[in-house]
Amino acid sequence: MRAVFSAAALAATLLSPALWAQEHWPVPAWSVAPAAASPALEALNAYAFPTRDDATRQGVRSDALLVIKDGQIVYERYAGENTAQTPHLLWSVSKSVWATVLGVAYGEGLFQLDQPVAEHYPPLKQHPKVTYRNLLHWASGLAWAEDYEYAPLQSSVVAMLYTRGHTDMAAFTAAHSTGVAPGTRHAYSSGDSNLLGAALKGPLGERYAEYPWAALFTPLGISSARFEADGQGTYVASSYAYMTARDLARIGLLMQRDGRWQDQQLLPADWVRFNRTLFAHAEADQPGEALPGGQWWLNAELNGQKPWPDAPADAFAALGHWGQTLTVLPSQQLIVVRFADDRDHSYAHNTLLRLVQAAFVPGEE
Amino acid sequence: MRVLKVMAVLLALLVLVLGAWSWQNREHLAAFPDILSAYTAKEYCSCRYVSGYSAQYCQGFVKQWLPLDSFAADDSARQVTATGLGRSNTARWLNERQGCRLDP
Repeated sequence: MRAVFSAAALAATLLSPALWAQEHWPVPAWSVAPAAASPALEALNAYAFPTRDDATRQGVRSDALLVIKDGQIVYERYAGENTAQTPHLLWSVSKSVWATVLGVAYGEGLFQLDQPVAEHYPPLKQHPKVTYRNLLHWASGLAWAEDYEYAPLQSSVVAMLYTRGHTDMAAFTAAHSTGVAPGTRHAYSSGDSNLLGAALKGPLGERYAEYPWAALFTPLGISSARFEADGQGTYVASSYAYMTARDLARIGLLMQRDGRWQDQQLLPADWVRFNRTLFAHAEADQPGEALPGGQWWLNAELNGQKPWPDAPADAFAALGHWGQTLTVLPSQQLIVVRFADDRDHSYAHNTLLRLVQAAFVPGEE
Repeated sequence: MRVLKVMAVLLALLVLVLGAWSWQNREHLAAFPDILSAYTAKEYCSCRYVSGYSAQYCQGFVKQWLPLDSFAADDSARQVTATGLGRSNTARWLNERQGCRLDP
């Protein structure tokens, strides 16, 4: 058995350089292959970077736009005070970043998808049936109100981040009552994501504080990451990760290549498959609204429609407040990072993806 | 006279409904005034000391509809205190990796 294993390992070491050496990897830095000027590129610039209105804060207000094709930078532009070195607030893109940290833990065997989270995080014992899978689908069933600006009085997320919950966000979430049975309904909840932030504290123990860096950021060569924690030292997985556009694209590349970083399978392939599989009870609430996978958002076809009609059905994304996005289009080997400060609804993600494809995918125009 | 009576009954009903609503939402109502100052202190701290934008940019970034009574950012201590709606909140920078946090 051991002989077979080491023979396989030897074969893998001998073979794998040949495989991954032909690919472009940002190791140590991204290589840059800027696309030549074209009308399609001009259209992309015009859409993403109109004259910025800081007085009324209206319109499309991109802070950064970065496009990776086949593992190389083909487009990169920043606006305002943003540069390639700015660790930008990711807001809810943080949820998918944390899910990627969880993926490494999953590969280490620290938890199972159908394991009750209360086994690792005791304050959740009032909700003993809520599993990792449920939380990853934002389907805990807890009675949670995810609304920011329009109903601030009863917003669970505002209370969690700024008032009644900020010293211990996971415990604040766990104290909510049950709305529906776990796993039966997707209801987007930053509380569910912060329970995932706390869940790893049990199995990791003292490794917890160091873990996002040890497990993910350092292996990927991400040096700009910051991750804010609550009063209990629990990472605010829902909202408070920061990194540069170039570093966020590294997570995109890891996901595009099914969890493999050069010759190392950093995330199990079945973990990425789970991230990219539509929640069984997903409903198309509103046109243009992305569909839930496992802490990632999918362009899956539901009732004959895709959230972003002009992008392939295998596209998936991490999405955050005020226009933060990391989108992966695996079939076109494209990764698109956009940072923004969009304060109204002028921006349309489908339009950006259409213009990016027109500019960088041959034959798309 | 009759109109007055009807109005008195309506007013009593309104007070009752408002009272019931306030009681039901007492937790939310008690916490509500903190939102303005806590949000401002936390997000200004992160904007300035985590992302590294200018003071001018961060003032605009955290601007809300309601005005603050006072605001103080100490760049050397990396500490921000905002006061508004009768409540005061402070956020401070902890370290390179974990950025800013609201004081309890």
